[in-house]
Amino acid sequence: MSHGSTEKCEPNFTPLLDLVLQLVMFFMLCANFVLEQTSVEIKLPQAIAAKALERSDDDVIYLNVNEQGIVRLTPDQREGDIDSLDNEIQVRDYLGRQADREKRRTGKDRPQAVLILRVDQGARFEKTYAIMRACRMAGYEKVQLRVRRSTEG
Amino acid sequence: MFRRRATTDDVEPDLPITPMLDMSFQLLAFFILTFKPAPTEGQIAMTLPREVGGQAVGFPTVSDDKPVRYIIKVEANDEGTIKKMTLKEADSANEAQDIGVKMDGYMDELKKLAEKHKGKQPVKLTLEIEPRLIQEYVVALLDHGIRAGFSDIAPVPADPKLR
Repeated sequence: MSHGSTEKCEPNFTPLLDLVLQLVMFFMLCANFVLEQTSVEIKLPQAIAAKALERSDDDVIYLNVNEQGIVRLTPDQREGDIDSLDNEIQVRDYLGRQADREKRRTGKDRPQAVLILRVDQGARFEKTYAIMRACRMAGYEKVQLRVRRSTEG
Repeated sequence: MFRRRATTDDVEPDLPITPMLDMSFQLLAFFILTFKPAPTEGQIAMTLPREVGGQAVGFPTVSDDKPVRYIIKVEANDEGTIKKMTLKEADSANEAQDIGVKMDGYMDELKKLAEKHKGKQPVKLTLEIEPRLIQEYVVALLDHGIRAGFSDIAPVPADPKLR
């Protein structure tokens, strides 16, 4: 009478490991995107009519405006030690420099970039308007307001 | 004198997967717990004010018809909320019409205007806003205006000196 073989039986962990590493990668990449775009300081207002950014809009400049109406620059936007723009003149000068750089790069006489204002829902209109005016004076024509998309009627 | 080289048995390399899997699960747990999805964001387009005072500038339209412009004047409380809203046709001798403080009433009035001019001539909307109004309400005014059928909306300060 023959007995069954005594070979070691082990589960195959390799596909499981592959899957887990893919999940880890997904969460790592998502975490990076969150850090890049969201400023914890700014709470955006909600709107139903908001649309997603068009694919043709390649060149986009984000301006984060807090409740006090101060423009907070992200680490990649900073010029030297300056991390915020407190008034309209500073915003206009900063955007003017950005516009000059873009004009040199593209060879066009006006900046084509889309300016997206991420303004805190508690900021007063006088502050927001001053920034909009600075955008216009710097030569930017395409300005949009960033909001949280809502589905509630 | 010959010494015979010792023969070795074939040994299959065994890579220990289990500790790696443990570590991966720990990483996965960390990222799941710290994951905070970004809220879905979108844009609202608006018309920028003109550089030197006066009316807002809209995008050029193909139609030769003279556009009709309506003005919504928005008064604000100290807290930054809406105190009063009035509607008036620009360059009209008629008195401004009080449309209350509620967004539904504001949107109904705009829908009526959009319907009245539909297919006839372009309609522009200027929001004359007091500086105290907070951004939440500015966005609500723009949002309801777009949903009512207006595509050319320009928010400007109520005081012409501030434009």
